[in-house]
Amino acid sequence: MQQKSILSGVRVLSIEQVHVLPWGTAFLADLGAEVIRVESVEHMNDRAMGPFADGKAGEAWWNEGGTFAYWNRNKESLCLEVAHPLGKEAFLKLVKRCDVVCDNFRPGTMRRLGLDHESLARVNPAIITLSCTAYGHTGPWRAAGARARTVDAASGLTYLTGYEGGPSIRASSNYMDHNSGNNVAFALLLALYNKQKTGKGLRIDLSMQETGVQSIAPAILEAQDGYIRPRLGTAHLWKAPHGVFPCQGQDRWIAITVSSDQEWQRLRKAMGEPAWSMDARYGTVTGRWNHRHDLDKLLSEWTAPQDSKALMHHLQRCGVTAAAVYTAADLVADPHLNERSYFEAFDNKNAPAAGPRKLAGRPFRMSNYQISLRQVPALGEHNRKLLQELAGLTDGEIESLVEQGVLHTTPKPDEPRPQGGGGWGGGG
Amino acid sequence: MQGILSNVKVLELTHSLAGAFCAKLMGDQGANVIKIEPPGRGDGARHEPPFIGGAPHPERSTLFLAYNTNKRGVTLDVGTPSGKELFLRLVKETDVLVESHTPSSLEEMGLEFTALQEVNPRLVLTSITYFGQNGPYTDYHGDDLIAQALGGFLYAVTGLADRPPMGTALYQMEVTAARNAAIATMAALVQQGDTGEGQHIDVSTFEATVSVPGGLIQQYTYLGGVQRRGGGENSVMDGMHLKTLDGEVTLTTAGTGGRAMEAWAEFLGEPAILDPKFTDRRTRTRNWKELYDLVQNKLAQWNNLDLMREATARGLVIGLVQDPVQVATSPHLQERGFLLELDHPEAGRLKYPGPAFLLDGENPSAGGRAAPTLGEHNLEVYCGQLGLSTHELSALAAAGVV
Repeated sequence: MQQKSILSGVRVLSIEQVHVLPWGTAFLADLGAEVIRVESVEHMNDRAMGPFADGKAGEAWWNEGGTFAYWNRNKESLCLEVAHPLGKEAFLKLVKRCDVVCDNFRPGTMRRLGLDHESLARVNPAIITLSCTAYGHTGPWRAAGARARTVDAASGLTYLTGYEGGPSIRASSNYMDHNSGNNVAFALLLALYNKQKTGKGLRIDLSMQETGVQSIAPAILEAQDGYIRPRLGTAHLWKAPHGVFPCQGQDRWIAITVSSDQEWQRLRKAMGEPAWSMDARYGTVTGRWNHRHDLDKLLSEWTAPQDSKALMHHLQRCGVTAAAVYTAADLVADPHLNERSYFEAFDNKNAPAAGPRKLAGRPFRMSNYQISLRQVPALGEHNRKLLQELAGLTDGEIESLVEQGVLHTTPKPDEPRPQGGGGWGGGG
Repeated sequence: MQGILSNVKVLELTHSLAGAFCAKLMGDQGANVIKIEPPGRGDGARHEPPFIGGAPHPERSTLFLAYNTNKRGVTLDVGTPSGKELFLRLVKETDVLVESHTPSSLEEMGLEFTALQEVNPRLVLTSITYFGQNGPYTDYHGDDLIAQALGGFLYAVTGLADRPPMGTALYQMEVTAARNAAIATMAALVQQGDTGEGQHIDVSTFEATVSVPGGLIQQYTYLGGVQRRGGGENSVMDGMHLKTLDGEVTLTTAGTGGRAMEAWAEFLGEPAILDPKFTDRRTRTRNWKELYDLVQNKLAQWNNLDLMREATARGLVIGLVQDPVQVATSPHLQERGFLLELDHPEAGRLKYPGPAFLLDGENPSAGGRAAPTLGEHNLEVYCGQLGLSTHELSALAAAGVV
C-alpha cells in the first residue's frame, strides 16, 4: 500500500541507551518519522543484549540481537561520539535539520556536553527536546540513577504487588521501561502536534517515577485518606472467584473472574451445576468473597483435570470471563493473534544468518495507516548518508571523523563478543 | 484549562478503565473532554471500592476520581432513540470519540464506525477493547486479570518460581492499553491536521499486554526458550526487598564501575561482604542467606530518605520500595510540582498525579478540574452547547434518557 507516512518529514535525533527511550522513539519511527539513533562505541550494551538466533552471537553480533530489533525498529543508526568536539560539531549541524532531540542520560550530562535545550535552541529555535530520566531534572532526587525495577519500587507499584498476605514483590523487571516509553511517545506526539499548529518547539522533562505514580493514581488518593490496599495476588477487593486455578499439565492454569451473581450463575451452568455450587454461602457477592478460599479450592478441583485452552473456550462460550495462562509458545501459536497478524516475521537484512523471526507487533491498528517493520539499523549504517545529506559534510570531512575515532560502523576491537544466547532484556 | 489540546474535542463512551484513562490523558493536556455515563448508576467505576471516607458512595470511588479528572460529565442512554440522536449531535461536533464496546454491541446500536463517519467524516474513533475489532475472540469477555493471563504477563513476569502465576497491582494492562490508545489517537490527530480525514483505531488490551514484557516473544522465537516467572528471589543485590528503619529498599550493582561489592562494603561499613563467596551474581545467589543477613543488618539502621540521599551521593543506584503514603508525601515529588490539589464536592481536597512530564518546566495540567459528579454538566452541554431548552432537558430526564 502506497501511503504518505503520518510523521513524514519529521526528523528525530535520539541519544538513547537501554530500554525506555528506545521504546518510546520506536513509535515515532513506526509512524514514519526519521528517527536517528545516535550511538557510541562506548556503550554496546543494547546491542550485546541478545537474544541471538539459536543462541549464537555471530560475527556481526552487534547487528543481530532480537531485543535490539524489537526496541529499535524502523530507526536509522548514527554511531558518532558526541563527546568529541568534532562529533559535537557534526551533531549540531544535524540539529539544524531536525525537529526533535531526545536523550536519556542523567540530568546534567547534556548540559556538560553543551547539548542541553538552551544550547540546541540557539542552533534551531523550533527544536523540541525530550529528556527521559528516572526522577526528572528538578527536585532532590534528580541526580539518582535507576533501573526499571527501582522505578517500580519508588513509584509505589511494587509495594502494592504481592501474593495475598505476603511481602511486596518486584512487580516486573522492565514494565516501567515500557510504561514510561509509552509516555515518551505520547509526549513527543503532543509536542509534534503543537509544532504542527504553532511552529514552536518545547522542552520536555519526563520522569519515569512520575509515570509510575500516575499509573497507580487511585492508590495515591487512598493514601491521603489513610487507606492502603492489601496485597491480594490475583484476588480482587470484592470479586470472587477471581484468580488463577490449576489445569492439566505442568504449571498450566486458567484465570477466571466473576463480577456479579449473573456471572456466577453462568459459571455454575458451565460447570454442570455441581452440588457444592448450590451452597448458599456462594449465592451472593459478599458470601463468595467471604468464603473465597473454600470456593477457590472447590473450583480448583473442577479445573485441575481440564486443558486450560479448551476450558477457556468452553467458559467464554458460556459467557464466563476466563483466559488460559499463556506462555510465549502459546502466544506465538494463538489463532486470534495470528488472524489479526499481530506478530511480524521480520527478516533482518543485517542479520542474514538469523532468517525471519517473529517479533511482537503494535497493539493498535489504524484504518488510514499501516505500520510495518521495515528495518533495524546496523551500527552506524546511516553515518555517511546523514552526515552528507543532512549535515553537509564532504567525503574528506567524513573520512577525517573516521580516522580520528569519532565515527564508527563496528564496535571497538576489544569489545567482547556476547556469550550464549543473551538475556531476555530484563532490567537487572 | 489551557493546553496543547485546548482546541481538541473528545467524547468518551466507555465502561473500561483503559477508555477512561485514555480520555483523561487527552484532558490533562487541555482537550475538551465530555464523558458520557448511563443515567442512574453512572460509570461502573463509581461503584468500585475503596471510597474516600470508607463508605460506598458513587462520587467517592478512588478509581473513578483518579481516572476522570479534567473532563466534564453528562448522562445519556444512547440505547434510546432520542438518546442516540443527542449522541450523534455530540459526535458531529467532536474530533475524537473514545469507546470500549465490543464491535457487535456497537453495531447493534447502529453506532459502528461507518455510521459515525457519515455524521462526522473527520472523526477519529478510538476503540479500546480486550480483544480488538476482529478475530475469533472478539466477543470474549475480558478484564485486567484476563489480559495479564492471556498476554503472558502472569506466567512470565511477576510471581515467584515456586508459586502460582501472579500479576501486578492496580490494572496496569488497562493503563498500558490506554497509553497505546493515546499514542494512536495523537498520531491520528496529526494526520487529521494534514489531511482533514478521520479514521478508526482498533486497540486491543490483550495485545497491549503482549507488547510489554521486554523479551518474551523474541526469547521464544530466537532461542525456543519459554520465559517463566521468578529469578530475583534470592538476589540480595539485584531484586530482593530489604528492610530499612521506615520501609524497604531494593539494591542494584549499577553505578559501581564493576566493583559492586567493594562499593557496597564501603558504603555500608561491612567489609565481610568482600568475601570471595559474594564476588559474582552466581556465588551471591548460592550464598544468599549469609549475604542477606550482613546487608540487612546494616540497612536496618537507615531511614529511607537518608539512604536515598547518601547512596545517590556516592553514585550507587537503589530503589526505595515506597508505600503510597510515602509517595503522596514525597519531598521530591512536592518540589517537582507533580501532585496537583483539586477540590471535589464529595471527595474533598486531594492531591492528584500529573502527566509525569513538565513542558517548558511547567506541569501542563495545573488549573485542572476534579472528576465530574454524575450528570454535572448536563445543562451546560445539552442546553449551552446543543441548544436544548431547559424544558426539553427536563422531559429527557423524566423519560430516563439523561
